[in-house]
Formats: sequence, C-alpha cells, structure tokens
Amino acid sequence: MAITILPPVAEDLGPYQADSDESIGMDSDSDSDVEMTGSTRPHKRPRLHSKNIGTGIITPGEVVTDDPQWMRGHGTYTNPLSTSIIATVAGTVHKTNKLLSVHPIRARYTPEIGDLVVGRIVEVQSRRWKVDVAAPLLAQLPLSAINLPGGILRRRTSADELQIRTFFSEGDLVVAEVQSVHQDGSASLHTRSLKYGKLRNGVFLAVTGTGGSGTPNSSVKGGVGSGSSGAGAALGATTGTGGVVRSRRQVWTVSTANGGGDVNVILGVNGYIWISKHADGAAVASSTTENVSIIRMEEMVSSSIYSSQNDDIPPQTRREIARLAQCIQVLVQSGVPVDEHSVTSAYEASLQVDLEVGDDEDDEDEWRQEGREYLEGTKAQRVLELAMQDK
Amino acid sequence: MAAQRQASSASQTPHLSPAELSYLYTSLSLPKTPIRPDGRSTTQFRPLTAESNILPGTNGSARIGFADGTQAVVGVKAEVEKTTVAADTLDARGLFQQQESPAAAAGDREAQEGLGSAAVSGHGSWVQMSIEIPGFRDDDALPVFLSEMLRESLVGAVSGSGGEDMAGGLKGRLVINKRWHWRLYIDVLLLSQPLSYPLPLLSLTTHLALLSTKLPKLKSQGEEDPLFDDDWAAAQYLYPRSAPGSTAPVTTSQQVRPPVTLLVISVADNVIFDPTREEIAVADAVLAISVARDGGHDGLKLLSIRTIDPPSRLTQPGVPNSENVNMLANATSVDDSAAGGATAVNLATGDEEVSGVWRPRRGGAKRSVLARMVKTVLRKGGVGEEVLEGLEGVEVE
Repeated sequence: MAITILPPVAEDLGPYQADSDESIGMDSDSDSDVEMTGSTRPHKRPRLHSKNIGTGIITPGEVVTDDPQWMRGHGTYTNPLSTSIIATVAGTVHKTNKLLSVHPIRARYTPEIGDLVVGRIVEVQSRRWKVDVAAPLLAQLPLSAINLPGGILRRRTSADELQIRTFFSEGDLVVAEVQSVHQDGSASLHTRSLKYGKLRNGVFLAVTGTGGSGTPNSSVKGGVGSGSSGAGAALGATTGTGGVVRSRRQVWTVSTANGGGDVNVILGVNGYIWISKHADGAAVASSTTENVSIIRMEEMVSSSIYSSQNDDIPPQTRREIARLAQCIQVLVQSGVPVDEHSVTSAYEASLQVDLEVGDDEDDEDEWRQEGREYLEGTKAQRVLELAMQDK
Repeated sequence: MAAQRQASSASQTPHLSPAELSYLYTSLSLPKTPIRPDGRSTTQFRPLTAESNILPGTNGSARIGFADGTQAVVGVKAEVEKTTVAADTLDARGLFQQQESPAAAAGDREAQEGLGSAAVSGHGSWVQMSIEIPGFRDDDALPVFLSEMLRESLVGAVSGSGGEDMAGGLKGRLVINKRWHWRLYIDVLLLSQPLSYPLPLLSLTTHLALLSTKLPKLKSQGEEDPLFDDDWAAAQYLYPRSAPGSTAPVTTSQQVRPPVTLLVISVADNVIFDPTREEIAVADAVLAISVARDGGHDGLKLLSIRTIDPPSRLTQPGVPNSENVNMLANATSVDDSAAGGATAVNLATGDEEVSGVWRPRRGGAKRSVLARMVKTVLRKGGVGEEVLEGLEGVEVE
C-alpha cells in the first residue's frame, strides 16, 4: 500500500464547545459596557461553576470569568476597569484554589539555567554565535564559552576570533548547556565540557509539543524562568501534552538490538533531539592518531568536537537510529511525555511488535509493501500500548 | 537574493549541518534498501487526510492535510462565458480592412482559423489557476511556476479515445456549443507555511477538487443560448464518475481522470517517493512527474516531466578531518610527524569524496535512474495508479 488516505478527524472538543456560540455573541460587546459585568449577566459563564472547567480549549481574548472571586494566574490578564479574567494564550483552564491560569497547548521553550539543550547555529558574529534553541529569542554562544582545541587551559587569541567559522558555522548542531538567562528571556550557552560540542553521526529530530516546558508530573513548576512577568513566563508549566520533559538524565546510551550497537540519545530540554552512534572516546582518539598516551586522550577527544566528518556507520546502526526516532515520534503524536523511561520502553515495545508481526508478511511484491520499519502507521497503537503497559 | 534563490529552488530548505546531510545521504543511498529517517519504504507515502465538497459556494472543492501539518484547500468555480472568437475576429477584420494592411490580415486569418478550431476543441486559457502561498506574493516565482506547471498538465491532458463525453480532454469538456463555453477558476490556497516543496500537496488537492466538481445540467440543445437545469441534484460531474447505484460501473481503467503531479527524488541509485523536506535537501535529482488516466488505453499516460533544481547544490560542504584546522593544530601539538602526514593526505585528496564528509551534489542524474523513476510511476499497479485509486476512494457525497 503506497498511500494511505484517512478521513478527517473532528477534534473532540468536549462539552464546553456547546455554549461557545452564545458566549462569542456575548463577548462582542463586553468591551464597551464594563458596568454590565456581574449581576446583569449571571449566566454568562456557567461552566466555571460547573464541573466542566478545564475540559475545553479557550482562545486568546476570550473571557474566562467575570466573577471577582478568582485571581488571575499565568496565561491571563485583567482589564483594570473590570473584574473579568481574559485568556492570553490558547489552552486549557486550570484552577488552583482561587487562582485561575490558562495552560497553553503549544509553547516555545523557556530557557532555564542548567538546561541541556540542542541548538542550531543560525548566525556567526564577531565573537559569538547565535543559536536557535526553539526559544522566543535566539540564544548566544560566546567564543569565550567554548572549549578551544588543544587543551582546556589555552588562552583565547585573536586568531581564534578570525577563524570562528572553523569551530561552528551556520547550520551546525551543537549540544550545550544554558549558562545564564538574560532579562529579556534569551539564554547564554556554554560548551565547556567534553559532553558538549558539535553533533555528528546521527539524526536530528525536532519534537512538537511544549518544547521542553512540560513537567513530568502535574506539579507546578517553580523555577528561574517562571519568575519573570508577562505571557512569556506563562508559556511554561504545561502538563500532559507530550514533548521532552526535564528529567534527571537527558543523555544516555541505548544498547540496541539487531546488531545496532550502542546508540546515544540526547534529549534537549528545548525539544530538539539528537540520536547518534555511540562514539567510544578511545576509539575516536586512536582513529585520529595511533600513538596517543593516556594523558593526551582527553585532548584528542576534545579536538574531535569540531569535526564534521561522520564515522563509518553500519546499516544496522542506522536502522536502529531510525527506529528510535520513530519511537519518539509515536510518543509525541500521542501526547506522552518524552524521557528516558518512555523512550526505552517504547523502543522495547517496537522490538516486540516486530516479533509479533514476524515474517508472515509476504514479500512477493516489494513495491506494495509498507516499509517494514515503519512504525507510525498501524504499528503505532500497538507500540504505545506495550510501552504504557510497562509503566 | 539568497532568499529568492531558495524560494525558487525545491524548497525552503532548512539549514542542515554537513554531518546531518552526509548521514542522510549515506542512509538513503544504501543499495537496494535505503533507510529513510521515518522508516518508510521507498514508494510509501505519509498518511494524509482528505475530504471533498467542503465549500458550499463552489462547484467543487477539496481539502488535504499532509502528515507534516501542511494543508491545502482548493475551490473550483465555473462560469459560462461567450466564446468571443467570432465577434472579435469580425470586428478586427473590419478594422484591418480599413487599414488595408495585408500582413495583418494574413495574421488575422491564421488567428481566426486557430480560434475557430478552439471553439470546437476548447482552449487552454479557459482554465485559470491561481495559487496562494503564505509569505509569497502573487507574482513571486514559486506560485507562478507551480500554477503554470499544474495548469499545463491539466489542459494538456487530451484524451485519445475516451468516452464521447471527454473527447478533447478537459478543454473539450468545457465547450457547451460553438458560441458558449465554461470557464474554470481553480483557486488553490495553501493554509500553512510551505514546509517542503508544496507541489504534490497542491496537485493532489486540485485533483480531488476536480473530481468533485459538478456542472449544472444543460437543458438547451445545439447552438441555442445555454439554459441550465435549476436542480443541483441533476448536475453532472465534470469528470464522469461511475454512479454508486448503477449495476454496470465503468471500469476504472476506462475513466478519464485529471492529472496528478508526483514529486520523486533520486539519491544515488535509489528512487524515493513523497520525500520529506530533509530528504529533498540531499537529493541528486528532483522530478515532478505528471500522469493522468486518459481512458484511451489501459494504464496511465505520462503528461510531463519537469526537473526541479535540487537544493543540495546550495548546501555547505563538510570539512574532512584531514583539512580541519582545529584538528590539525591539535595534531601538531601532539606529534609533528602526524601533522605532516595529515597535510600530505590533504594535498593528495584534493577534491575527492571522503566518506562521511558532505559534498554538495554536482552534475546531473543518470539516465537509467531517471528512466526508473518514470517507470515506477507508470507501471501497472505502480505508484501512480495507487495514488489515483486512493483519491478515487475519497467520499464525494
């Protein structure tokens, strides 16, 4: 089957949608007559008092409530002349005691100090790079915040500034850590560790969802980024909508089946993911030069940070990398948070599904055959069931 | 300038790092079994959602959403227009006779003959197509090129010996009588940013919209001024469909169908369908192949092949380790002899391909690969037929 055409699926909007027509009509005149709020329109928002709160999606500009007993939280604002709370983002209403907040369906990443991020260089400036990390503003990576080749304790010279493009140039992917967050919410990155640097030997995956601002449990996030004001901070702290979540381990190695060897997975907190062949530090060093002493090993490893040449990667490894990437896609499409546990269990589930399908697929017509490794179609549901079962 | 060049090239390609490009290219060029990043087989399409007849004010409409989130809506409207050939040429003749210009008169006679035949067999300009892509002006290269590419295959599809209804293809179908014809306006609207080259999406949606297009039933006969049946239920499909209730449905192979344009790429010796944006970015050749079912004979008819400038030519080359300044500097500090060896290799390798290092593609595609791309689309039970069958199956109520 070469092509699958599905009928359109109507979004399940829940009971809230039933009164939306009426509410839109009411909202249209709410700006002009402020004094009308409250008692004159007592039935305007019945759903807040009913059980339906938080079940539907509300859009920016929509009045969440005009009952003065509520306090406004993230994702809302109030007109100083009225008591109504108006949403500033599209999402679901959440209430904590008397605090009303709107959690957005989709949001950009809000950088926080210490986050491990994967970014793409978009601009090279005289002493720094501008990096796309899926945040509202580009992050910056100063030349002074990278490991220079030839030993960690080398001074930065003007020659390094001139050949800045030999370290990273436009389009390159880097894994880095957020060093500081500026007043405007933009981040400064650093790669001063052997774990960080240029990425190669693998595939890149940009995951939709909350772009890393989701939290693993439904606890309210209390971090550095959430302290800043305005709608930007409100974009954080979304629960249950997939995407990469902050977790204890963002980088780990999977030992894959089918002779794939070890594969590294880097889950950037910003939702950018890198899956690559595991490079053994010693092997890298010895492939570059033969006679390296143990002491020099670290230097050699650090020099390969700036390489853009891929190692020789066998097809088995490539297959398993593709499988891991699909597992993550399946998780994201069904709104499951992506972390080490969910990815590994999805990976194991996909292997099991392959065993179940077995070899009964007939290979007589290779043109019509669905990709054997394709997981996102019919196999997706099964993979998900098995993966969730483990939890 | 750079943005312009990118826009006319196969897509707004993302900036990909040389290491990514190299990885992708090697995975896709593995002989026999290329590994696509999403695990699909070479001929497999991403699942798409489709519905037709969504706009009440049009003669036919459709919406298709691709798996990557791009969506397109197409509306087809038809309007009766007087075939102005006769009147125009008469007026013109009067003018020319006054001017007594023999050359102009000769040209005029030619034009008259040409247009006279157009009144019978239809004219390509009766189909108007406009494409709107967010972020592009109407007169930008991409929308203009795309609409001309789609229109060309649409009006160019002349049926050989199909049913008497569809003689002359779509153009012929638009003729009402010698003095009147239909004019079709096909409005294509891409709802999302063009994530990858939008041609296949627009083409499939246009196809679906044309399939659902109905024209009111003609009540008048012959050369009378046209008079139509008010009953919309009696309207007839522009492309005749087999009635669901009829006992003897027309076999699919005999039906005339609007063309579809498929995007096919080649990477080394592999032929890949429905490429994603990343896959297009490493393609050796990108072809837009238009096929249609013309009812004349079994199978599909090839209407046009267009090559599209592959964006892989504009990508940045990777730096092999042997030429990498950072690694050389390090090697010098470690071992002088090793550094000397490295530079020697550098001189020796010159421009050659180093495995694992991305080089922008140069030159064309092999003839055998191009032939295979076309064959895969056209062969019986091949991709072209499957796509047409799939679109045929979309419910038109």
